[in-house]
Amino acid sequence: MVAVSFNNVWKDYGGGAIAVKDLNMEIKDGEFVSLLGPSGCGKSTSLRMLAGLEHISSGEIVFGDKVVNDLPPKDRDIAMVFENYALYPHKTIFDNIANPLKQSKVAAAEIERRVTEAAKLLEIDQLLERRPQELSGGQKQRTAIGRAIVRQPQVFLFDEPIAHLDAKLRARMRGELKHLQFTLGVTTIYVTHDQLEALTMADRIAVMNDGVLQQFGTPQEVYDNPANSWVATFVGEPQMSLMEMQVTSLEGETALAFGSYTIEVDPKNSARLRAAGKKDLLVGVRPDKATVSLDESLGSIRGEVYSRQLLGADVLVEVEIGKSRVRAKANTSFAGTVGTPCYLNFGSEDLYFFDAKDGQVIPQ
Amino acid sequence: MTTRASSEGHPALSDQDWGFATVDQKPEIYNPQPSRMFYVYLAMPAVLLLAAITIYPFLWLIYMSFHKVGFGNASDVFVGVKNFARLFNDSKYLQGWGLLLKYSAICLSIQVVAGVSLAVILNNSRHEKILVTLFLMPMMVSPVVAGLLFYYLYNGTFGWYHWIFQSLGILDETSILGSADTALYGIILVDVWQWTPLITLITLAGLKRVPQDQLEANMVDGAGSISNFFHVSLPNIYPFLLIAVLLRFMDNFRFIDAILALTGGGPGNATRLLPVYLFDVSFKFFKLGRGGAIALTLLIVTIILGMILVKVLEDPARKKALSGDTDG
Repeated sequence: MVAVSFNNVWKDYGGGAIAVKDLNMEIKDGEFVSLLGPSGCGKSTSLRMLAGLEHISSGEIVFGDKVVNDLPPKDRDIAMVFENYALYPHKTIFDNIANPLKQSKVAAAEIERRVTEAAKLLEIDQLLERRPQELSGGQKQRTAIGRAIVRQPQVFLFDEPIAHLDAKLRARMRGELKHLQFTLGVTTIYVTHDQLEALTMADRIAVMNDGVLQQFGTPQEVYDNPANSWVATFVGEPQMSLMEMQVTSLEGETALAFGSYTIEVDPKNSARLRAAGKKDLLVGVRPDKATVSLDESLGSIRGEVYSRQLLGADVLVEVEIGKSRVRAKANTSFAGTVGTPCYLNFGSEDLYFFDAKDGQVIPQ
Repeated sequence: MTTRASSEGHPALSDQDWGFATVDQKPEIYNPQPSRMFYVYLAMPAVLLLAAITIYPFLWLIYMSFHKVGFGNASDVFVGVKNFARLFNDSKYLQGWGLLLKYSAICLSIQVVAGVSLAVILNNSRHEKILVTLFLMPMMVSPVVAGLLFYYLYNGTFGWYHWIFQSLGILDETSILGSADTALYGIILVDVWQWTPLITLITLAGLKRVPQDQLEANMVDGAGSISNFFHVSLPNIYPFLLIAVLLRFMDNFRFIDAILALTGGGPGNATRLLPVYLFDVSFKFFKLGRGGAIALTLLIVTIILGMILVKVLEDPARKKALSGDTDG
């Protein structure tokens, strides 16, 4: 159990392929941090640098107060769960889990005790004599986790450990992993491309894109106050919609011009937009904060239904307004089909404001 | 099917708890099958070709081994098992077996250790492609040419190897192939030189398929590169290695070209391995009946030894893994 930090870490594969650019991150002792981003954003590379499986091009990685840049993986006291489980096919489940203990020459009786204990915790104690190829995906994944927890390492590294499980099992494992990490209290870095996993499990989320850390904060912060329009659209499901608007004024008050509409802005956001002094904005709205109706109402914006997707409890309606498409959740009784004229409504206090030029959030 | 075991083995996840759709009846499925003769016709050309090039000569070999084969106008005389019976009193035949087994065992041991080591080195080398091409060259040389090549290298007057071995004090005055003590090792060296690359090549192909994530997982588990080789790489390349050893073993048992070029079985009978003796009996003394008997015994023993080899080499790997004792 140790704090982990990245200090100005770069990873350059050569030939112009820079995987990680100037990464700075302080992970507290015992914290569960999720590295979130699309594939190729550098999150796995960052994790592998922590594990010692990749060299660091520049900067330093610190465990506690020790710089570990040049330590081989075996001397870092870490445990890692791989995306494809990476079990040893020629060994039994017992031996797979026991491997880290055998490598560090723990006594046989102690190995027996700890493997059995870990297997019980993960409910795979009846499978110990089997081989990996006889196990289902979920059981393999538990074995891989067993191999990680059996040694009580300083840091857990998870590389998309549940990406290959079916949806039902994935939901179950999210809860179990979170519980396990809380019980063991080990500093954990968890790589995922699934924003739901990050939101539900992590104490803090590091959102990465194109090798650059976009935002590092609690799930609530990342969801409520995204640092830029990219984070805003990446986190949250269904995705936030962005509309191009211009700051204008209406009877002396700050307002937003959206196509032929002029939208009034609440006093708080009005002050915020004035202070920023930007003209072109990207304005975001989350689908559950926008309403769509077939009837016109005060302040509503007219558009056409572009698509209607049933989500189960409600429907997701995509409304085409000029060249923007805005997603809104509606009751399943919403009768519009593709091409039906409809009216969109949202409150200005629920909007997210970004600079149209660089996508950065307009400061509060 | 009305009940089904839970696929995950977790009581909480049992499908029975929630219920799911099942199908109890199977419809009559129309699945037309072509007649059995159709397959026979399809296979016929291949079977006939195979019969002409392998089965007929094999049957002829069996026929010969029970006859005194005549030449010219003389007809074949059936002699029963006499050809076989005589082999057990034939000291050259028995000695041929001894030499063959010794030769084969030494060749295989050296080739496996050297071949796998080379493969590991090549796998970690930046110049792998060039080196593999270089290492493959001996395999492309015809065995007779390889024999002649070493004939010069071993030459007592100007042979380079002869000079090296003598300078190192390994060899006394006599020449390598001229001495009964060293001649066998002389031909072993040719085989090792020529065929170690085959083991290297097959092992290298195996090493390429060792999953990177297993190696990395083992490193994270606390292993160094030596442990990584024995715990992850070796078990993964084992099936490849087994095929390579089997190929080499079977090849060794009919190896003759380079020996004929180098020693012709001499000095004395020091390198008269069974295949060489077989060649002598059949094509020098033209005792085709006895030759057939020798060839048949050689074939049967090769098959039996091959099967034993597969069993012996395959089983420890499985047992070892089953017992959990993988410390190597």
